[in-house]
Amino acid sequence: MSRLDALGLDELRERQRATDLEILTMGITFTVYSDGENIDRAWPFDIVPRLIAGSEWERVEIGLKQRLRALNMFIDDLYNDRRIIADGVFPAGLLEDSENYRPECEGISPKFGVWAHISGSDLVRGGDGEFYVLEDNLRVPSGVSYVIENRGVAKRVFPELFERQRVRPVDAYTDELNKMLASIAPDGRSRPQIAVLTPGIFNSAYFEHSFLAQRMGAALVEGADLTVGDDDCVYMRTIHGLERVDVIYRRIDDLFIDPEVFREDSMLGVPGLMRSWKAGNVGIANAPGAGVADDKCVYAWVPDMVRYYLGEEPLIKNVPTYRCMYDDEREYVLAHLDELVMKPANESGGYGIVIGDRASPDELAHVRGAIEADPRNWVAQPILQLSTAPTLVDEGLEPRHLDLRPFVLTGANSYVTAGGLTRVALTKGSLIVNSSQGGGSKDTWIVDAVPAPDGAPSQSQSQSQSQSESQSQGAS
Amino acid sequence: MVLLSRVADRIYWAARYIERAEDAARVLRSFGDVLADIPTSGSARWNSLVAVAGSDVELEPEDGSDERPVVRYLIADPEHSNSILNTVEACRENLRTCREVLPREAWQTVNDLSIYVRATAPTSIGRRAREAFLLRVVNDSRRLDGVLTVAMTRDAAYELWRLGRYIERGDMTTRVLGVRAATLLQLPPGGHDEFAEVRWMSVLRSLSALQMYQRASPGPIDGPDVVRFLLFDHHFPRSVAGCLAEIRSSVLRLPGNETVMHMLERADRELKNCRPHADDGAELDDAMDRVQLSLAGLHDALAARYLRF
Repeated sequence: MSRLDALGLDELRERQRATDLEILTMGITFTVYSDGENIDRAWPFDIVPRLIAGSEWERVEIGLKQRLRALNMFIDDLYNDRRIIADGVFPAGLLEDSENYRPECEGISPKFGVWAHISGSDLVRGGDGEFYVLEDNLRVPSGVSYVIENRGVAKRVFPELFERQRVRPVDAYTDELNKMLASIAPDGRSRPQIAVLTPGIFNSAYFEHSFLAQRMGAALVEGADLTVGDDDCVYMRTIHGLERVDVIYRRIDDLFIDPEVFREDSMLGVPGLMRSWKAGNVGIANAPGAGVADDKCVYAWVPDMVRYYLGEEPLIKNVPTYRCMYDDEREYVLAHLDELVMKPANESGGYGIVIGDRASPDELAHVRGAIEADPRNWVAQPILQLSTAPTLVDEGLEPRHLDLRPFVLTGANSYVTAGGLTRVALTKGSLIVNSSQGGGSKDTWIVDAVPAPDGAPSQSQSQSQSQSESQSQGAS
Repeated sequence: MVLLSRVADRIYWAARYIERAEDAARVLRSFGDVLADIPTSGSARWNSLVAVAGSDVELEPEDGSDERPVVRYLIADPEHSNSILNTVEACRENLRTCREVLPREAWQTVNDLSIYVRATAPTSIGRRAREAFLLRVVNDSRRLDGVLTVAMTRDAAYELWRLGRYIERGDMTTRVLGVRAATLLQLPPGGHDEFAEVRWMSVLRSLSALQMYQRASPGPIDGPDVVRFLLFDHHFPRSVAGCLAEIRSSVLRLPGNETVMHMLERADRELKNCRPHADDGAELDDAMDRVQLSLAGLHDALAARYLRF
């Protein structure tokens, strides 16, 4: 960070202002729902990058690929043989109660046995400096477009820093996504037509849907643009008439994708889509039903899945998790509410989470009641001492808490983004990083040492800089 | 390259809206100029302009002049769907849903303009601030065309953009002539307007046509000549004939265009058959109505064939 210090606070603020303006002009936005209106807001971006050493990142990459392989084998197993239940590794009761289990998907085996093709796992760096997985997002994780946009902006803000060190590029993601999606097209379709299925302009991630379609040269479609023919193939309505669609990257929750099978009041989906998918006439990513493993209770079993399916030790750890469905673990949670974070199993976006040491007695009493009423749907974790990084705020450069969401593609092969989306809580002491709740973002640099001219590695700047990311003292 | 009908619809309308904003800006600029040259009195000198926006409201004068209410109505009225504020926003909203088919700079241009218009329109009513505002709208609209001209593949999406532009543009030329017809109608029967030349000059200027007209028709400005130029000179890109020629070249590059070609030929015929006498307000007005109707018919055929989804 010494180079940033050398610039001085005034220069940093000036660059931050110029950047905010650029983001506004380029129309990099996200949509928030507030006061009955959808507001298109400029993407919040803190110009100070977050640095992670390349050598450390390689271990994270391998760990994430391993984790997603196991999770996909788990989903495929649940919808087919259920070996993991028969072998007593995963409790049958948990599956029966799962909100995201789709009986309509039983007996299906998508190409490569992969269901969650695109995932975003949230990582945090704990008190010991290690990365932990906080949760897996296997349904329609968003944020990757901002990873790429943030980098584009950062290169213009700090061109001099990019000259001095090797920062791994992030641009290749959309090509990798394109290849992966093409690989799940029905057999025999050369040059498959790919479509990104969006719920439309009012969705909070519409910017991203549009961005991904642009970068892949894919069609950006809404439900009404698609129709399923008598031949059980999917078509889109174009000015040339109906054109076949081979692969759909759906950004709609699976309950809404096909009113014939799931919610019949859905206006967003395509009647017959499930029929077409089951017949093998269209590839869908992520596969309907993949969300069964995206559940904060199922999460607690992921390390067991890695051991069971792969015979390997998990390379990235879970945060220790108390499962309220078990009497002894629940009793511990209820006795230590003020020291734990309580999470409902199926909420996303940070909603419903209760942080014990910040909650009022009323809130604690309320969550106690909720856990007792529905123990299967609650887990609890120790309050993590999330790492912090210097962030430009009103007071100057100050430490703020952050997390990291790398994106993992799983098909015939696996791919992990170089870094991912770093989200930062802009309020002092806050642990809430969601952009819908006042969080910001940072560009994430995976930095490799640049060899010195004589061939010997120079003193690695990345090492010293990544240490500037530090632990907060105390849970505050 | 495939083009969804829904996306075709949005591109076509985005083009119409930005052209509408640009045309309104151009007309407002030239109208301010001409009034400075005509020492007439009266409080309702500006109201005829609302017809350019396809409206017939009567706006109440403020401080003895209707300039501010009319300009506000055309530039910044949030309730008026064809105010520049709203047409620029409508263009942006349409393009926002088809970013994947346009060059990135195109979206950025209109997004940038929209941010500017939202921030500045309400304070751009007075004469001095107005000029900078209107110029920016005209320039950014042209910049948008420039980006597409140099950076966009000539696919169906591009042709639909051109169709939106030229249908709106042809329509606007007839509206400006219609407003001129209205001032002719206000003359007493057999009356002579000593400012006729200035008014015709303003008509030309509001269509960015003055210089090109003068090159085509050297000598003093002559009403019948101006009308001929703006309707029939197909070398001039804002004349109705010029717009129809551009429309033809785009329609020919679209698939399955029979019904649209049919309506285009009707519009061509309608234009050829109208020979209005430039000094007869009623005749000119009637002729412009008929040309507008044939353009509307062309739009309907286009919408039925390509834009329904």
